[in-house]
Amino acid sequence: MSQASTARFHHGGPENRRENTSPRLYVYLTEHEPLRGGEASRTGGAPIVRRGETGTDIASLLPDDKRNRTVKVLLADDDTARAAALMKVLSADPGLIVLRPAPGELLADAVAALAPDVVLVDMARPDRDALEGIRVIISNVPRPIVLFVDHDDPAFMEEAIGAGVSSYNVLGVPPPDVKPILRAAAALFRHHQTARTELRDARTKLSERAIIDRAKAILIKERRMDEPDAYRWLRERAMATKRRIPDVAHEIIRTQAGGKSGPDVKPEREDAP
Amino acid sequence: MSTRIRLGLLRLTDSAPVLVARERGLFQSLGLHPLLSIEPSWANIADKLTYGLLDAAVMLPPLALASTLGLRGPAVKLIVPMGLSQGGNTIVLGGEAMRKTANLPPGARLLSWLAAQPARPRIAVVHRFSTHNLLLRYWLALTGIDPDQDIETVVVPPEQVVPALASGQIAGFCAGAPWGMAAEQAGAGTVLMGTSNIWPFHPEKCLAVREDWALANPEALTRLLRALMRAQRICDQPEEADAVVSLLADTSVLGLPREALRAALMGGHDHEQIHFHGAGAAFPAPPHAAWFLNQMRRWGWLDEAADLSAMARQVYRPDLFALAARMEDLFTPVGLGHDTAVFKAPDPKSPAEIRTPDF
Repeated sequence: MSQASTARFHHGGPENRRENTSPRLYVYLTEHEPLRGGEASRTGGAPIVRRGETGTDIASLLPDDKRNRTVKVLLADDDTARAAALMKVLSADPGLIVLRPAPGELLADAVAALAPDVVLVDMARPDRDALEGIRVIISNVPRPIVLFVDHDDPAFMEEAIGAGVSSYNVLGVPPPDVKPILRAAAALFRHHQTARTELRDARTKLSERAIIDRAKAILIKERRMDEPDAYRWLRERAMATKRRIPDVAHEIIRTQAGGKSGPDVKPEREDAP
Repeated sequence: MSTRIRLGLLRLTDSAPVLVARERGLFQSLGLHPLLSIEPSWANIADKLTYGLLDAAVMLPPLALASTLGLRGPAVKLIVPMGLSQGGNTIVLGGEAMRKTANLPPGARLLSWLAAQPARPRIAVVHRFSTHNLLLRYWLALTGIDPDQDIETVVVPPEQVVPALASGQIAGFCAGAPWGMAAEQAGAGTVLMGTSNIWPFHPEKCLAVREDWALANPEALTRLLRALMRAQRICDQPEEADAVVSLLADTSVLGLPREALRAALMGGHDHEQIHFHGAGAAFPAPPHAAWFLNQMRRWGWLDEAADLSAMARQVYRPDLFALAARMEDLFTPVGLGHDTAVFKAPDPKSPAEIRTPDF
């Protein structure tokens, strides 16, 4: 008798429920791995995409000589451009199969359905918590999934976390060499992060300039200052209140929008002692 | 140059003390300028504390203990010098079976719901090492249900529990405010009860700090605690609730739903309200830590031989709390593992030492 059937309230295994709510699974294979069955379509250098049923044994789709030597990597990253770039990098290794969860699929379900050896997760995903303490059923044996930790190289781990990517391993299967995979992911995530930060900084600077201009216009109109005086006024007020000029400018605009008669009407916030 | 403090938090109602402290200038008034980092998952908070990318965070007490013990990754020494909130979680179950049993007590209602399930029901919690999971498992076991056999536990982020319940991906959940009420409003499920029925005034979120940071910055730590204590008092006042709601609902802050936020705060109408200050919410009681550890051991997640009391005292630091509380004219509650009821002769040179007991 199986463990589950002894449960008092157990009227059907989780596998039954899974059949009922079977999500469509998108299996992505790299171009190095021709599929059996001939359904695959090849589009330029992009990965081959095959729609299959949940529970598809990925290994059975592979040529015989690849079956037992491949490492299945589940890549959970909603940033399509970054994920595509990383898949391209990882597919340079013929020993890797890179899989991705279906859109909207719970991360835990994707892990259960695909039984990957390694999970790479974008740290911006809120469902990463689902992997903490989960057990994956592989050939009817539940195996724990654990955070990948390189105890000898905390700086490397810090770099990956700082870049926003985390990695989990499935215990109890032959351990793949995860470090090069995570290293590639961290480098790519860092690259995208830097590009995004630069873009955001540029946008912030642009919008801050606009805010300062609007605040200056208000001061020029209401205080009859000229432009250099208005800027000087903002700068001095910023220094006196230990804030940034755009913050002071923002306050001036808010006060104006609130229908008050001038910037001096709004008192400074009392900081409680 | 003030001390650098990188403080992590999640998009939750009980992150309120940190955000109120910033908004009201309470950090600033004590010379602190913490860098707040809103993280999408508890795993992020734990990882960033572990690898030194955060110095402190709003944390789940069991996760702070599990991180210190190395149960989810490499061990990192964290301390809990104060609690941040109590209560506020609800157990929600989906389906028709709950609609017909409103007159039954929660235990009987749960059993009748379980018997009506076509398959082993999948119940979501927010993290394996969460108060939600440990309180739920404790209560299930008390009701005669084996949480490992009779139900399947999955982890779903709080913001996704309502759609997951509506779509049938899960059969029920235990999550913090405002998601229980949101599930009822969406017609996705029925609230069975609040977790404060299981443990009245149970600790919910705490402040976890890297021990090495705390040792290197003892003064900044005390000031951090004082600022948060001031914020907790504000968060507990019904007349401040509207201002707190506006702050947390602001899309540039947390962008949480306004109505559900109000319901979870003092004077609100949710199934239970979050306490931030009253009933010793800020006090990091070692017996509370020992309870969490004991539950973790009970479910086989901890070594049988572990000295739970020593572990609890290593992580929970009422002494650091007491130091800050004294400066804020607050007292430490009695009977929670850190009784300081020492009678001191009044010192005429420091009249602030003379206090009338608060009966």
